[in-house]
Parts: sequence; structure tokens; C-alpha cells
Amino acid sequence: MKDIYIQEETIDIAAILDKGASSSDGADIAFIGRVRNNSRDREVTLIDYEIYPEMALSELNKIADEAIEKSGLNRCIIVHRYGRVFPGETSIIIVVSAPHRGQTYEGSRYIIDEIKKRVPIWKKEHYTDGSEWISDRS
Amino acid sequence: MRVKVKLFASFRDICGFNEKELIVSDSIKVSEIVDVLIKSNSELASKKETLLVAVNQEYCDLEQILQEGDTVALFPPVSGG
Repeated sequence: MKDIYIQEETIDIAAILDKGASSSDGADIAFIGRVRNNSRDREVTLIDYEIYPEMALSELNKIADEAIEKSGLNRCIIVHRYGRVFPGETSIIIVVSAPHRGQTYEGSRYIIDEIKKRVPIWKKEHYTDGSEWISDRS
Repeated sequence: MRVKVKLFASFRDICGFNEKELIVSDSIKVSEIVDVLIKSNSELASKKETLLVAVNQEYCDLEQILQEGDTVALFPPVSGG
């Protein structure tokens, strides 16, 4: 099964972990990304995530399909927040399941790496002394 | 012909709009639209090398030729996750 969500609301991690789990799979991997309270020696107060909704959803679906095919995943759930996310909060969760652990490590890593390259989502970090688009400093 | 231009993140901040319909000549390339934007927003020039382009929500390059009704999205490198 494959489920992709882009949402403003807080992510209910426990609900996602259980969603569509099957006893035929021996391995689940959950990658949980959280907002840090610091970045390059500055104190982060919050992150604004901006998205291109239609394209982000389409790219996330493509990435999930690729990972399912490459790694033989039986379950693939990706949830990404948009809008305002505060330090300590979950900004993304990726849950993948497969019969064996190797497939899940590989699939989970592929998904987060591709998201960071291709999915049109941008972070604007806010600090105690200003703000900055993260994509502009690399 | 008409095309829609969408800008995101710092590009929107620099140019001051997030979506605009433009009337352009037939067979225009994405790069020509970028050059027009740079003319009135010089800060965008330094970002041309790293900018990403999508036409109708599919990534493409600056040489892409546009068709009537296309939606061109221009944005800086992504930073999700």
C-alpha cells in the first residue's frame, strides 16, 4: 500500500505507524524528521514550509513508486507538513515495510534523499534575529 | 499566446508576485521568460545558475519551448524534509 499526505496539521506518529501494517512483513522502518532549535549557530524559533502542492504530491508519488519497485516495499507512507512547524515538532515521517530489513533501510534512505533533491518544498528558517530561505545559502 | 508563471520561496519575494499570466510570442523558451524577470528584478540574476524549472508540474530545462496554456514554475533549489 502507498499513502502520501501533505498536511498543515501535526503528524500523529502512532496512527501512521499502524496504518496498513501487515503481518506478512518482517521489517518496518520509520524515518522521522524534526525541526531543530538551532542551525549554523543561530537559534531557530520556527520554520515556515512553503510548497507547490500539486507538484509536490506528484513528485512524492513518483518517489514512492520508485522506492516500492527498487526495494520491493509492501508499505510506503510519506507525510510532510507545510506551514509553520516549531522546534521539536515532526516535519516529515516516512514509514516503509517489507519482508526483510535490508529492503526497508534501502527504501527509506532512497525516499528521504530524493525528497531533498526533487520535491518542491522550501524551508524558511526564522531565528531570534531574522529569517532566511534555506535553499538560497547553498 | 498565454502562459502562466508561478514563483516560489525567495523568487516570489524578489519579484513580488506568486502567479501571473503573461502574453508571449509563440515558441518562446523558458529562458526568455527568465530573462524578462531578471530585467526588472536584478537580484534574480545571481540565482539563474541554480534555478529549477517545471512546466505543467514536470521538471525541464531552460531550453524548453512553451505552448499555449502552459504553466511555468520557477524556483530555487528545494529544501524539504
